[in-house]
Amino acid sequence: MRKYLYIFKSEVMSNMQYLANLLLGFIGYAIMLFILLNMWKYLYSDPNEIINGYSLNQMVWYVIITEIIWSGLGGRKLSKKIAEDVKSGNIAYNISKPYSYIGYVLSNHLADVIVKGTIYFILGMILGFIFLGTFPEMTLLNLVFVLLSCILSNIISIFLITFIGLFSFFVEDSSPFYWIYSKIILVLGTIFPIEYFPVFLRGILKFSPVYVVSYGPAKLFVDFSWNNLISILIAQIIYIVISYLLCTFIYKKGVRRLNVNGG
Amino acid sequence: MLMAVKNQLRITLLSIKYAFMRELLNKVTFITNVIFMVLNNACMIVQWVILYSLKDNFGGYTFNQVLLLWGFAAGTYGVSHFFFKDAYNLSETINSGKLDVYLVQPKNVLLSAITSNIETSALGDFVYGFIMLFIYGVTFQNFFLFIFFSITGGLILTSVAVILGSLSFWFNKTETIVETGNSLMVNFATYPDGIFKGFVKILLFTLIPVGLANYLPVKIITKFDLGLTLIVLLFTIFIVTLAFMIFNKGLKRYSSTNLMNARI
Repeated sequence: MRKYLYIFKSEVMSNMQYLANLLLGFIGYAIMLFILLNMWKYLYSDPNEIINGYSLNQMVWYVIITEIIWSGLGGRKLSKKIAEDVKSGNIAYNISKPYSYIGYVLSNHLADVIVKGTIYFILGMILGFIFLGTFPEMTLLNLVFVLLSCILSNIISIFLITFIGLFSFFVEDSSPFYWIYSKIILVLGTIFPIEYFPVFLRGILKFSPVYVVSYGPAKLFVDFSWNNLISILIAQIIYIVISYLLCTFIYKKGVRRLNVNGG
Repeated sequence: MLMAVKNQLRITLLSIKYAFMRELLNKVTFITNVIFMVLNNACMIVQWVILYSLKDNFGGYTFNQVLLLWGFAAGTYGVSHFFFKDAYNLSETINSGKLDVYLVQPKNVLLSAITSNIETSALGDFVYGFIMLFIYGVTFQNFFLFIFFSITGGLILTSVAVILGSLSFWFNKTETIVETGNSLMVNFATYPDGIFKGFVKILLFTLIPVGLANYLPVKIITKFDLGLTLIVLLFTIFIVTLAFMIFNKGLKRYSSTNLMNARI
């Protein structure tokens, strides 16, 4: 475990060197948020209107949180890196090292996410307050649990994207699979909460990655309840175990097919 | 002069043709990329189905018009990324000294630098654009207008990418600005302009010319207007010229690195 903590710490330190770049990257996030804010303001002709159980304020805060999780994750970068590791043969260097490749990817990328996510969270809260003038009602303890849920959601995303990236062992380019995955998360969980979908679909979505990756943490932020917290945390832990096992399985299968030429 | 332009065009088309043939070497990957890009874009229809179930009209657009807007967003992106993929890597090309290989050729440096690679998946965007046009309702006129505006929009997108990429001649570490600027063009293009008001709307028709690349073409296809068509055409000529001028001005400041590189 200590070696993974060391990788995590080194990556955090390295990311801290490029804070200005991270702050500039926030502009893209702020613009996307601005577009979505305009969209929701247009939809809610009356600010006190409730649509599918959400007020305008709750809807905007929901999108702020899901966008922080999604933009902070940097999924495309991770997917590309893993695919590149496999295609270029770089992954072979990891076989001889005394750590697991999956563990390395998690500790390395999670450090990235924590630094970026923290900055995006602080700036996102400021932006949300400027847009709406209020914060959702919650205690400090509630906020700690929401943040815990956000971290778990990122761990699941990292495992799932690693799993998709490792498809590169079997197909030349795994990015098309990532496009579809990212669009599913974006449309079914980031822009809209599950309640916006037909009843039959809600049941399916509650068992899908959408529930644990984006809907869960954002729902807790806009409408915290202990019952919801427990069911979301349990679902997230189950997903972590399943997605980790999937990664290990595909990695072991893929490494057997690995063929590296040159040095 | 005309001969020079003709030769340059021939070289540019040959460059794109060979890049295309290179991508075709792996047919399975090629077809997968195209099909999955169509599916990837199609996922976003869900968003609009939900929004239109809550409201009949969105920013002055009917559901079919939003699909057409998406068609243009995909079509213009497809043209730009398929033919001029490297316009989006111009910063890196300049910073790493990779421009050297294009400087020694007796052809236009900018065109050579931005047409040496193609993005296969962008073909899927272009196909998706046509699917949206067919759903909207295709006529002989619409079909040609769609192709025409996909080209003008693609050129506008590429010119913005070249102008942003050329900033690297003057400043260091411009990657984030370039990425943000280019994503602005794409993100605004998929939402109706009616939801934006005031200063932002002015920006969308000037500094961030999504209005001229996407919004006006939707309006022209809905109700043909020769004046608006000419405005789009003139703006395209203006921004393409501006991109060439800025790049050529910056090129005078370019100094080579000692990078050894070869085009294979």
